[in-house]
Amino acid sequence: MRYRKCIGAVAAAMLTVFAAPAIAVDMKYPDFESQWRIPDGVKGDPWDPARPAGLGQQAPLIPEYQAIFEKSVKDQAAGGRGNNYAGRCMLDGMPRMMSLTGPMEVLFQRAYTVLIFQNAFARRIYTDGRDWPVDEEGTFDGYSIGKWVDEDGDGRYEVLEVETRQFNGPRALESSGLPLHKDNQTIIKERIFLDNDNKDVLHDQITIIDNAFTHPWTVDKTYVRERKPTWSEYLCQVPPDRVYIGQDEYSVSPDGKLMPTHENQPPPDLRYFQQPRK
Amino acid sequence: MHYPTTIGAMAVAALVSLNAAAAKAGEMQYPDIETQWRNPLSNGFGNPWDTTKPMGLGQEAPLTPEYQAIFEKSVKEQADGGQGNSLGLTCIHPGMPKVMNFSEPGEIMIRPHATYIVTQRYPVRRIYTDGRDFPADEAPTFTGYSIGKWLDEDGDGRYDVLEVETRNFKGPRVFESTGLPLHQDNQTIVKERIFLDKSDPNTLHDIVTTIDHALTRPWTVDRIYKRVREPKWREKTCHGANLHLAIGSEQYFLSADEKLMPVKAGQQPPDLRYFKQSNK
Repeated sequence: MRYRKCIGAVAAAMLTVFAAPAIAVDMKYPDFESQWRIPDGVKGDPWDPARPAGLGQQAPLIPEYQAIFEKSVKDQAAGGRGNNYAGRCMLDGMPRMMSLTGPMEVLFQRAYTVLIFQNAFARRIYTDGRDWPVDEEGTFDGYSIGKWVDEDGDGRYEVLEVETRQFNGPRALESSGLPLHKDNQTIIKERIFLDNDNKDVLHDQITIIDNAFTHPWTVDKTYVRERKPTWSEYLCQVPPDRVYIGQDEYSVSPDGKLMPTHENQPPPDLRYFQQPRK
Repeated sequence: MHYPTTIGAMAVAALVSLNAAAAKAGEMQYPDIETQWRNPLSNGFGNPWDTTKPMGLGQEAPLTPEYQAIFEKSVKEQADGGQGNSLGLTCIHPGMPKVMNFSEPGEIMIRPHATYIVTQRYPVRRIYTDGRDFPADEAPTFTGYSIGKWLDEDGDGRYDVLEVETRNFKGPRVFESTGLPLHQDNQTIVKERIFLDKSDPNTLHDIVTTIDHALTRPWTVDRIYKRVREPKWREKTCHGANLHLAIGSEQYFLSADEKLMPVKAGQQPPDLRYFKQSNK
């Protein structure tokens, strides 16, 4: 019997030893590695999901940018695209990409966390302690540096704090054309964490500091975990009946000819053609 | 007393041995390929499918007579300033297998259930390694559906090769920007063996075999990628870099000052009959 106890103790010790690395791996980072989607019932792409898209957002815009936004809303009501550039397949960039028009997957790598979007290119959040690069060009997604935080001291990380800078533009927060400042000096701060009461809900509390705003604007984006993920293939395509020449948008008629998108739109400049059309 | 001592010794030996195995499994289970990889030929001067041969007709692709004629027509059209079978100007997804030419760098990430190939300007490619079968109800895609299997070919306790099979395609797809075509029936099967070079761990091979009704036999090429130790990522979209546009069936260029330009000598400007006023 003593030998059996001894064998049992050894077996228990072995189990402990073998369980330990797995637990250590599991506990270092929170259980983010999954597919995440916006909750059912969200209509459109409101930046603050608690409010309707468009003017209903009551965004803290300075008067100059409130006027730009209202012009965009009016232009869209008349059939134009306003400040929304998605139609010509420009990148949404940060922070709009975090509205998740398609699902997102999170992967942890040694030096960074990768957000893989169905409807956008991968976003890397560097967590290796690096500083802001001095020679990087501004991009629509910006450059993201993150830090894992163990807020309750239980030995595992709960929150990924992220700061993103170095942008390119133009960028808008919604398809309504809610604008960010054209100086692209935006700073975005995020806190990404699992809901305390529901580990199948992920929060991204996003604070935007931008010269188009009177004060930092914070919203709480929530995503729900998908346990049986499926993925669609998405690569933005300009619709075949649309053409963009410089900053101007044109339609293409069913018989393959160029058409204006709005009344009195001038035709494109044809100076590089040597002969008039017969 | 002999038994407990023996059991203890066995237990210690087992623990040491299994601990070493566990550590080895944790660190060595997959090959060291989680990094950025670049195609050494992606220098802006063409990206041949078979990297040992020149692009275009120089590939000597094993095309059926029907598809050889389609290819030759494409080559001729391009020589005349057209696009041929290449749909790159529309920014359509190049799909498999062309996406593995890594015209821009890509990164590999490994999880037990899937290996991810994250390229700079295309959607991520997932190679499922969780033992699943090909789905029966999945919509076809340009990238197809990829199922992989890790192999330990030399029996040293770590995987050496990722074998992949990809099916369920849509098209049109080509191998090269020259318009080297795949069959329009999209019944392509692509088989790959991805592994590190035995003499140079900074070189990754993807031996790609394409089985397609446009080909007289399976066509195998060895794609090679070079490891990047300090990767940088550029933000690049096809649309942002695209200087081509199509109006109906006509192709045009966009000039540096964003004005419409002809792609060939003597090309007429677009028909402006639907505009009420001339451009001043």
